[in-house]
Amino acid sequence: MAKLSCAGRLWLLLFLATAGLVALFAFSPQGEGPARSSALDKGLERELARQARAAFVRELYAPVVELRDSGQPQAALLKLEELARAYPGDPFALVLRAEILREMGRVDQAIHHYARALRLNGEYLDEQGPFTRRTEIRQLVEEGLATFLPRFQAHPDNRSLAATVKEVYYLQSRLAGGCE
Amino acid sequence: MTRRFLLLLLLPLFFLPGCDRLGERPKLKIGYMNCNNERETYQRFAPISSYLSEKTGAEFETVVADTHEFEERMKAGEFALVHTNSLLYIILKEAVGLKLLAAEKRGAFGTHTAGALIARKGSGIEKIEDIKGKRLIFGPMMAPSGYLAQYDLMLAAGIDPERDLAYYAIPPGAFKHEKLVYAVYFGDFDVAAAPVLDLEEMTREGKIEADDFTILAQSATYPYCTFGAAADLDPALFAKIKAALLDLGPEDTAEVDGERLKVLKTSWAEGFEDLLDSDYDGLREMARRANMPPYQSY
Repeated sequence: MAKLSCAGRLWLLLFLATAGLVALFAFSPQGEGPARSSALDKGLERELARQARAAFVRELYAPVVELRDSGQPQAALLKLEELARAYPGDPFALVLRAEILREMGRVDQAIHHYARALRLNGEYLDEQGPFTRRTEIRQLVEEGLATFLPRFQAHPDNRSLAATVKEVYYLQSRLAGGCE
Repeated sequence: MTRRFLLLLLLPLFFLPGCDRLGERPKLKIGYMNCNNERETYQRFAPISSYLSEKTGAEFETVVADTHEFEERMKAGEFALVHTNSLLYIILKEAVGLKLLAAEKRGAFGTHTAGALIARKGSGIEKIEDIKGKRLIFGPMMAPSGYLAQYDLMLAAGIDPERDLAYYAIPPGAFKHEKLVYAVYFGDFDVAAAPVLDLEEMTREGKIEADDFTILAQSATYPYCTFGAAADLDPALFAKIKAALLDLGPEDTAEVDGERLKVLKTSWAEGFEDLLDSDYDGLREMARRANMPPYQSY
């Protein structure tokens, strides 16, 4: 079987998801009342869309994760830049960037990128979600408080330290279930 | 009586020239380190000078200077402010007591950056030990991320750049950082001392792909370009300038030659941050290990 390119695999995934949706519509039970059927269809539609999106995101960022896991964080960051040409502003790219930057010792930037990602999409805090980062964010908050709070207390006039501490508190409030 | 009354009426006229002088704004120069070329550097940074003039009440003139000129010109009292790379900040702090104002944000590491040693993928050079006996191209000698960081990386790996390479060179003219990336890409050199920021931007712009190169080694991060102030700058003005730089956002504009420009976009910066002088200690250690100014000894 011929090896498919990354774009080819993504198209195949989308095709399969669409085919699944069509099959569900075609074989869904009839005669139980239009309202119930419609609600069921919508629920299935949502679930399929969610699964298709999760599969798409996993496939799209697989090369980044692979580079990061093989100890090539800078190459992973460059791959993210490359993907951003086609998918600018994707919150999951911010999550991956935050994780890589944290591993590279740029904890302040990791905090900043996680905060940006959560402002765009709160699902990373959902423990049951496909892309949950709840544990990672909790650990980052602990690290952020231990690193930046004493520095800020020693330099209370430093506006950048103040901004970083504020972002740590923002992440902490989102973990606690606070709204924007 | 009438003559006295007339004299009294004319008296304020003697003070008018003095009033003009009181209304004059102090004229100060900002020295910007020449990056690729003088024209580009001026076009990038003139909006920052104009913005600072609008925000602080002083009148700032943009002056582009070469790296090696700063120490002498600061000692002569020419520049009130300077915008330079972080190594030059350290040098000027030692030489003339330069005061840290703000650090520029640009790229993935924010206020920080790093240097990397790269080889063309598939060249057979896979790790830093493989570069012995190979041809290496550096960036400018005073560039922390195009020379110092990589020199230090080689020393840490037990490679003496002066003895263990086939030879090394520094590209002539403008756009040195891009030139060295292309020099490895097209096979003129085996290894390049590439600033990570340039790799990032060239990838973003589609000039290179992430898979084109093997990153053999990469330095720890250290601060990127930095605004500093002369030691004798009026503290009230220093505070105003610092606040203006930290407040500078993507929507702020300034007028240059009759045209209103977005300051950050034109200058390629993403903003300015309030760093501590101790944030530069890692770079200081690098300069000490590599026997670079301001710690050079013979």
